[in-house]
Parts: sequence; C-alpha cells; structure tokens
Amino acid sequence: MRIIVIGGTGLAEQVASALHRAGDEVTVIDTEPGRESALAQAGLRAVYGDPLVPSVLEAAGTLKADVLVACTRSDEDNLVISLLAKKRFGVPRVIARVNDPASDELFDQAWGVDALVSPATSLVEMIRPESLRRRAWPGSPPLASCPRHPAGRRRRS
Amino acid sequence: MHVVITGCGRTGRALATRLDAEGDEVTVIELDETAGRGLPARFRGQFVPGNGIHPRVLEAAGIAHAEAFVALTPNDSANIVSARTARDVYRVPHVLARLHDPAHAPVYTELGIATVASVPTTVNRLIQLLHHRTLEPHQTFGNGETLLVRSKVPAYLAGRRVAEFNVPGEIGVVELSRAGHSSIPEPSAALADGDVLSFIVAAASLGRLRSFLGGKWS
Repeated sequence: MRIIVIGGTGLAEQVASALHRAGDEVTVIDTEPGRESALAQAGLRAVYGDPLVPSVLEAAGTLKADVLVACTRSDEDNLVISLLAKKRFGVPRVIARVNDPASDELFDQAWGVDALVSPATSLVEMIRPESLRRRAWPGSPPLASCPRHPAGRRRRS
Repeated sequence: MHVVITGCGRTGRALATRLDAEGDEVTVIELDETAGRGLPARFRGQFVPGNGIHPRVLEAAGIAHAEAFVALTPNDSANIVSARTARDVYRVPHVLARLHDPAHAPVYTELGIATVASVPTTVNRLIQLLHHRTLEPHQTFGNGETLLVRSKVPAYLAGRRVAEFNVPGEIGVVELSRAGHSSIPEPSAALADGDVLSFIVAAASLGRLRSFLGGKWS
C-alpha cells in the first residue's frame, strides 16, 4: 500500500518505520526540518514541508496514496490536513491522531477523518468507559465503546 | 449584534474594544487566561478562557446565537477549524478569519471562508506608499490587489481617447469628471486639460498607470 505519514519525531516516525518494515511504500512529510537524511537512512522517503500547503501534499504523492495518517502534535493541523487529504486529494482512508481529548468530537467525517487515534480517550475507555460521553454528531466514527460496540471494534482505528 | 472573537492579541483586543464601544455584544475567547487583562476597564463584553477550536468553548461564548464570528488567533489552522465549525455547525451568518501565511490561502478559498490576509495587505500598502505616492487610492478591494484611484489628466494628454488608457485585466477608466460634472465616459471620448479620471487598476499595474500619467501628477 502507498501510505503517507505526516508528523515529526516520535509517533509519526515510529509508525512510518514499522509500516516500511512491513513492506508498505511509505512517505513521511516531516514537519521538523533537517531530519530527512536520518529518515532516508532508515529507508524512508521523506520530504520536509508544511502539510497545510496543498502543493507540499501533492509533491509527496498524496494523489496516489491509499492511506494518509495525520499524526502531528497539533489537533487543528491534523484536522485541516485530513480535510485536504479527503476533499482535495480523495485519499480513500484518512487516519488522524488526537492530542487533546477535548478535541475528540471534532474528528469526524465532516473533516474527512475515517478513523482516529486518541491515546488519552483509549486509556480512559479501558478503565471507565461509562465516563465517556457519546459522540454528538452523526457520521462520527465510534469513539467510546458502548454495549452495542464491542471493545474490539476500536482496534481498527 | 453578538460577535464572538477568538484570539485576544493586539488585533483581537482592538476589534473587541471597538465593537463594544459601538454597541455590539462581544465575547472574546483566548487560550491564555491572563490575556483578558489587556482589555480596557470600559470593556463590557465577556472573556472566555479556552481553546476556540473546541465546540464546548464556542458554546460557552454563545456561538449558537452569534451573528458574527471572527477568528484572529496567530494560528492559521486553528482559525480554519473554528471558522468552519462556527459556519457549518452553528450556522453563524458572518464568519471572517485572519490569514497569516499566504501559502495557506488555498485552504480558506476552498472552504469559502473570507479572510483578511495581513501580509499581502501590508505589502501592497507599503509598495503603494514607496512607489506610487502620487496615486492615492480612493478605495482598495480584497487584500489590496485591486484599487480605485483618481488622477488629473496632464495637459500633454489632452485630445487622447479614454480607450487608450484601457488595458484589459490591468487598467480601466470608470469615471470622468469635467468642470464639476461626473460621467461614465465612452471609450471614444476625448480628454481635455483639467479632466479628472477614476481608474480601476490592479496593484501590479500601478507602475504602468503612473508611466501613462507621466509620474509627476498628484
């Protein structure tokens, strides 16, 4: 699969490396400058740039991507990247990282998000699922598991 | 009019203060809880600490019955997220946002959110003041890309036709004042000494218009 991973050090890089080892064609849009050579050494195709600029996404091959992962440390950046990926580039599967659980409810189809990863919410869900409020808007991917959504279903995001 | 503003920096504060003085009902949202202290004592509006991208914060600011929303944080993507939420989720009729990096303009354009772009507006105005002092605009459009300027016709151009000034996509003559009477001139109309013309002109073509006019006229 052709996968674009957007973000800096940490999660984005780890996800990109693991997918690359699994045999996927991975391109990283790095939001931190000067790390292209380190990423290239790991065998990853990396471009440095501002992913909010459509020409940067295009140069990374977003038009041909099967999956895009918006994995920056900024929720608002991840939302805008997801929207561009889905609406402008028609990426079939857009996955976004949520940094602040207060932003959870924003990450939905309206922003082009097919699935989300929200570490804080996932942890709370394991311990106190009843404390999570149901997602308010229709069309949202399931966030908190409720009796009709077995916990296993969350694994897809 | 109830106006919700995100961002309590110089611009947000100045806009909030001004709208409040003009009788509008203003709520300012700002991440930094201490920023509210920058608002003047006479400010009667509300200050809501929090992140303006979060629906709960927008709701606390009364977004549901706001007539206008203005996103003025220093972060383009935060402005995009809150402006789109205000418009599409809360159906706020008038939504405006500040654009910092001109490279982000396509995103706003695609979403149909009207922006005030600080950088192009400032640059267009500075070029105007540096190079085209003699052509003071009566009106500017958009972020200063198009201007309406008036200029006296220099004596040596008397007898020329209006059409000679028209350059498609760059310069157009839209009005002629002669002896206190204003009209929309025919392209074939001949100019006379003492005429004053109004031009609609692209910012990039100001130099061309100035050279038409000899560059010495104010």
